[in-house]
Amino acid sequence: MLNIDNIVAGYNTSVALENVSLDIPEGKIVSVVGANGAGKSTIVNAISRLVSVYSGAIRFDGKDITSMRPTQVVELGVVQVPEGRDIFPPLTVEENLRLGFHRLAGRKDAARRYEERFSYVTGLFPILRERLKQRAGTMSGGEQQMVAISRALMADPRLLMLDEPSLGLAPMIVDQIFDILARLRSDGLTILLVEQHADEALKLADYGYVMGTGKVRAKGRGEDLRTDPTLAQSYLGRMAEG
Amino acid sequence: MLIKLSYLLLAGLTNGSVYGLIGLSLSIIYGSSRVINFAQGEFAMLGAMCAFFFMVSASLPWPLAMLAMIVVVVLAALALDYGIYRPLVRRRAAPLTIMIGTLAGAIILYGLAFVVWGPEQKFVPPVLSLEPLRIGFLITNSQQLSLIGLFIFFLMLTWYILYRTRFGLSVRATGVNPRTALLMGIRSERIVQFSFMFSAFISGVAGMMIGPLLGGNVGMGLLLTVKGFMAAIFGGLGSPFAAAAGGLAIGMMEALMAGYGTSLYAEPSIFVFILMVLIVRPYGLLGDYEAERR
Repeated sequence: MLNIDNIVAGYNTSVALENVSLDIPEGKIVSVVGANGAGKSTIVNAISRLVSVYSGAIRFDGKDITSMRPTQVVELGVVQVPEGRDIFPPLTVEENLRLGFHRLAGRKDAARRYEERFSYVTGLFPILRERLKQRAGTMSGGEQQMVAISRALMADPRLLMLDEPSLGLAPMIVDQIFDILARLRSDGLTILLVEQHADEALKLADYGYVMGTGKVRAKGRGEDLRTDPTLAQSYLGRMAEG
Repeated sequence: MLIKLSYLLLAGLTNGSVYGLIGLSLSIIYGSSRVINFAQGEFAMLGAMCAFFFMVSASLPWPLAMLAMIVVVVLAALALDYGIYRPLVRRRAAPLTIMIGTLAGAIILYGLAFVVWGPEQKFVPPVLSLEPLRIGFLITNSQQLSLIGLFIFFLMLTWYILYRTRFGLSVRATGVNPRTALLMGIRSERIVQFSFMFSAFISGVAGMMIGPLLGGNVGMGLLLTVKGFMAAIFGGLGSPFAAAAGGLAIGMMEALMAGYGTSLYAEPSIFVFILMVLIVRPYGLLGDYEAERR
């Protein structure tokens, strides 16, 4: 569904990704793991067109999106849950969800689609239904992550990208979030998951990529990468245990 | 006693409405772009001078003149957006740099207006009558009352747009975090452009209406920017309504100090007062919005 072909990318002329290629097949979860600074987030932001791509191409459904604007990528249904959640703290939960719905809001059947997305999302996270009028910034970290994921799902994405969703969350909450991701896959969603928690991310993934300093160091089935002892030592370090 | 107080309050309310409208305008732009537009008062100046130009020089009836004035100020706002704001943002300039850019824009607008109209005070004709109007023991006129009416109208209009429309939600989201708003598919440049145009419209109308009461000259913009800015930081820059309330408060204080003390000390003492308030409440009197933003 999404195909990254040999890209060189980075922020303001510095190179953060060197000749990275990556494939995300429809209906699968692809996890990108690696140490801090390995370039994992840059992949997500290159797809969202927030960082410069100097060479190579990114294709979505065969269409070249490399020179698109960030808003056009969203329009296609490629939606990101940013690192650190980045909800809109002073706005209410409901307003955050409405902003996520922005992609579909101009369409003819918007009212019906909103109801449909809203009941899907609150089915996944029933707690949000009671918190609609609460300012999102006053919620706990785990709840904020739920808002961030729900907000992205309101857009009815075709590809959902999550940048470090476990960051700063208690292990129990992380498990809960990963369970939701598995459920989203069984509902047919395609997911790109960028994670430092390599073990869990690879366990969940159909396919995995291991990044090290801007390059893809290994790729394969998630389970194979997870159990590969050389990878655990060289690129995942202590992350493999935690 | 009571009569004098009522007069002072009415005068304060009128001037305060103008300061409030400029403060509201500043805060609308700040809300979407984190930039203080130092050219805001120039939009009001353009409003007053265009009122003079279209109503006196071109002898158009006031509705047409107002329409023409709105076209001019909105074009000026677009020039500021395309000529200064966008090029600087695309080069990743810091907000402070952009603010200096808007100051340059203010000087350019002032210079252009100076070339067109010269330095003299112009008689800006009133849209409504300046004939005395008696309400109980108060004598006022409809121009003065219309300013207060406009203040309330624009306050409600802004509230409606920001809090009751999908577009307004996008404006608020962009103000909180433009990058995240972009990830929702919201084009922050469009949002900022709207806020420039909308706030120029408000300030232009305010300028057109205050022109007959203050007199119009090409140098009036700076004073209005300063007063509007004081209004915004006094009330709280993060919220258009706090900024508007700040304007009313400053107008009132000014009138009361001028009425019971001397107008010579009115401005410095208000500055000192605002400074003291800001020391205690750095986000302005009503400004908690900004403080809990992140």
